Amino acid sequence: MKAWLTFSPSIVNKAIISNLVKNYDITFNILRADITPKGGKMLIEISGTQQKQAVEFMEKEGIHLNPINKVVKKDEEKCIDCGACISLCPVEAIKPAEDWTVEVDDLKCIGCSFCTNSCPTRAIRVME
Amino acid sequence: MWDIMKTIREINQKIKDGDAVVVTAAEMTAIVRENGAKQAAEEIDVVTTGTFGAMCSSGAFLNFGHSDPPIKMSRTYLNGVEAYSGLAAVDAYLGATQPNRNPDIGLEYGGSHVIEDLIRGNEIELVAEAYGTDCYPLTEIKTQITLESINEAVMVNPRNCYQNYSSATNSTDETLYTYMGTLLPNMGNVSYSSAGELSPLLNDPYFQTIGTGSRIFLCGAQGYIIGEGTQFATEVERKNGVPVSTAGTLMLKGNMKEMHSDYVRGATMPKYGSTLYVGAGIPIPILNEELAQQTAISDEEITCRIVDYGVPRRSKPIVREANYHELKSGVIELNGEEVPTSPLSSQKKALEIALKLKEWIDKGEFLLTVPVEKLPNKGRTVKPLEIQKPRILVKDLKGETLILAHPTDAISEVARKMVQNSINHLPVVDEGNKLLGIVTSWDVANAVAHGKNKLTDVMTKKVIIAREEEPVDVIARRIDKNKISGLPVIDSDNRVKGMVTAEDISRLIGGD
Repeated sequence: MKAWLTFSPSIVNKAIISNLVKNYDITFNILRADITPKGGKMLIEISGTQQKQAVEFMEKEGIHLNPINKVVKKDEEKCIDCGACISLCPVEAIKPAEDWTVEVDDLKCIGCSFCTNSCPTRAIRVME
Repeated sequence: MWDIMKTIREINQKIKDGDAVVVTAAEMTAIVRENGAKQAAEEIDVVTTGTFGAMCSSGAFLNFGHSDPPIKMSRTYLNGVEAYSGLAAVDAYLGATQPNRNPDIGLEYGGSHVIEDLIRGNEIELVAEAYGTDCYPLTEIKTQITLESINEAVMVNPRNCYQNYSSATNSTDETLYTYMGTLLPNMGNVSYSSAGELSPLLNDPYFQTIGTGSRIFLCGAQGYIIGEGTQFATEVERKNGVPVSTAGTLMLKGNMKEMHSDYVRGATMPKYGSTLYVGAGIPIPILNEELAQQTAISDEEITCRIVDYGVPRRSKPIVREANYHELKSGVIELNGEEVPTSPLSSQKKALEIALKLKEWIDKGEFLLTVPVEKLPNKGRTVKPLEIQKPRILVKDLKGETLILAHPTDAISEVARKMVQNSINHLPVVDEGNKLLGIVTSWDVANAVAHGKNKLTDVMTKKVIIAREEEPVDVIARRIDKNKISGLPVIDSDNRVKGMVTAEDISRLIGGD
């Protein structure tokens, strides 16, 4: 799953993520992070068999968890399948199909908006 | 010369009889590979090509009809986009890249978007202004038009269908927004624009069958080539018979009332401007074995230069050459790194267009034409525009005595140098005068405020620089874009030669 974690200032100094990995045997990937002494936000992707317990642990520790479902969306009517967005995606969430149809993988998307800002026909939108 | 095996007249008879064999340029590649050019030339009558790319040099002639009382329009605006009206009373030419006159809309809805809206049949607001004459008394008009309500809407594109076009990358450490799309810093991506083996002019590279009067597919209508395009060149480097960079171009014409929005689209290159995606397809009659061979060209055999848009000059440095098979694979190696690639033109639409044109010919709805005049295939080069006033380079600026700081300098020493020389920036260099960073009076104040004593802790290490050989105009834009007040001048060995400031440049411009 992919989710935004919101840290309050009081827990910024706690080693929650490393305990998470140690105790629940999950793998995770930090996709975006913005943490300051005043608190912060982190976009992570976690997977593992104890994912449910891991989420409960984080919530108990005071992290606000906000799961993301749909992230990137292509307007089929507007898209001309030019592919200008493909090489801009830092996580390879946009790929051409065999017939060069531009395909977006919203599970991979981290919502960086590089593609939306660069689309010549404004056909890609990022939505949370 | 190769023996003529068929004539266009004979092919047209076959089309009418429903017997013509038509394949796309991609299919032709495989056919010739399998059976050889001779057999292919006997069996295949027409090869269709296609491209769907951003073609800025496009636009439309519109005739609005006369109002009562009449008006001699001297300025016209369509949905807020100005069309050139220095023609007869109610004629105008709408260019694809014209921005909206409303600065809040600007590049987001320009000439190309109006063209698309017209073709979609949408209502367009027409505002016209005039000075008023005895025969044309009205001085202003505001009304709604549609494609159907106006007399003519003729797309006339001075330069479409570049034979080949260099790919773009960016060596600088900032993102660039160009007509080749968004280019990531440090050669983070490569953008290419040709349709490769499907591209019309790569399939008849010496224009043996294409010329003025050739009937073509244009944005879903049957249009025509009305001559060579602007910036047309023939004297270029070739590999496997096809140019490795820009060469031939086409001037195209078509009736917008017959066009379809599937094959034309208004677009905006971010922070660059609006542009029109034009769908064009050209049929190549296979008159002889040589044409069979030429239309069989594959992506592997077409070379394309990758150039550095980090250098905003007419000639951009070539980073490497690649073929379209490599470019279309999605990654390419640049200086030992794997770099992702993006097409800028739609490969999918290009094939759709080639297939649509094939369908028209198969159904007998489209006949081939003998050009009235062939396009020139030799003796043409592109001339540069020389600026008569000599271009001032950074090295021509009169430098003041160069004041430098060294990493070991105390903050107080740096402050003293700034005050003594009335300057705000100081390049920080090593013993060999090579640039390490830059320190500003703000950095010094910051150091004092936070009790920092080491220069290396407060200086900026990522420095925006000027090179000696760069024109001053380029530096003026760099200063403006980065919102800085000055930058160090560096020679080819990265040694600091001086400073150039916004003041130096405004003094220069003011002194004209």
